[in-house]
Amino acid sequence: MTSWVTEHTETTLSFDERKFTDFATVKEALIAQRVDAVFMLAPMAMQLRADGVPIKVVYLGHRDGTALVVDKHAAIEDFGDLRDKRIAIPNRFANQAILMRRMMRDWEMAPDSIQLLEVPPPEHPAALESGSIDGFIVGEPFAALAELNGTGRVLYQTKDIWPNFISCVLVVREEWIDEEPQAVQELVTGIARSGMWLESGLEQRMEAAEIAAENFYYQPKELLEHVLSKPPDRVKYSELGPRRDDFEEIMELALEFGILSRRIEFEEYVDDRFVPDADQAGWDLEHLPGTRHGAVL
Amino acid sequence: MKLKVSLGVLVWTLLISLAHISLNIGWSNVGDVVRGMFSNAKTQLRVGYLPVT
Repeated sequence: MTSWVTEHTETTLSFDERKFTDFATVKEALIAQRVDAVFMLAPMAMQLRADGVPIKVVYLGHRDGTALVVDKHAAIEDFGDLRDKRIAIPNRFANQAILMRRMMRDWEMAPDSIQLLEVPPPEHPAALESGSIDGFIVGEPFAALAELNGTGRVLYQTKDIWPNFISCVLVVREEWIDEEPQAVQELVTGIARSGMWLESGLEQRMEAAEIAAENFYYQPKELLEHVLSKPPDRVKYSELGPRRDDFEEIMELALEFGILSRRIEFEEYVDDRFVPDADQAGWDLEHLPGTRHGAVL
Repeated sequence: MKLKVSLGVLVWTLLISLAHISLNIGWSNVGDVVRGMFSNAKTQLRVGYLPVT
């Protein structure tokens, strides 16, 4: 949404969005400076910083919006039934991997009692349909896709087992923060205002689904409408400033489960100076071209 | 003779540069740099994303 709006307004910044299909490639692109900013898994950003890559987390992409999906016909009623099953995760440095390990600990299951397999997110629904895996945990719209194509059912939404779950964070290379802070501010403010607009009503969510489906995700708009409305709090676009207690919880769990190599301080990997004030006004899209309120899409 | 050597060096340098761009740098990255040099358009920030929340 941010990219779409900036293309149609007179801001000094434009975004050249680069689409990827797996997080390992995103990480390499960021290190190689083929991208300046990315939406990336939170623990992966922490590990990159621990490895000395000059990046900072400046904002969140969203909260919640991840589901644990299992085969629709499998006799799986709760987490305990996942013992000895194969579950796909988006990456070993994903908060989804941390959540699975935390659940195993809480259910007093051995750490290897569920086989966790790294699979690129877009491949999760097909892997479930083929029987290669028994379930997956990933961000939307892939959980909804499995639901709608009749192969999967949601066992848990993360909002019900880890409220305000953080999956992807916005990471920016430090040279942009140091040399072009205004550009970073425009990006963060754009995301914040997009989020406020999305949270302002179901009509806005339906419009966002249409724009994103056609211009960025290349998925049926009905799928994105499902993601953004069933239920409406399936994905949240509020409280997107990076909070110390959230990240320290992730850090502690990641260290406990051996996902991160070493502890780093919040200030080392987070720069929250760009978080806009909560009372900033949202965008009035009636004045923007390219939406159903203005010109034709 | 001197002219032929100079032309040969020039052609060789051109070809090896084109090969280097093609094999190691990528034409899209060169395009980004050139656009940045000659365009007076908006500041461009390259943002990577996956089509996943």
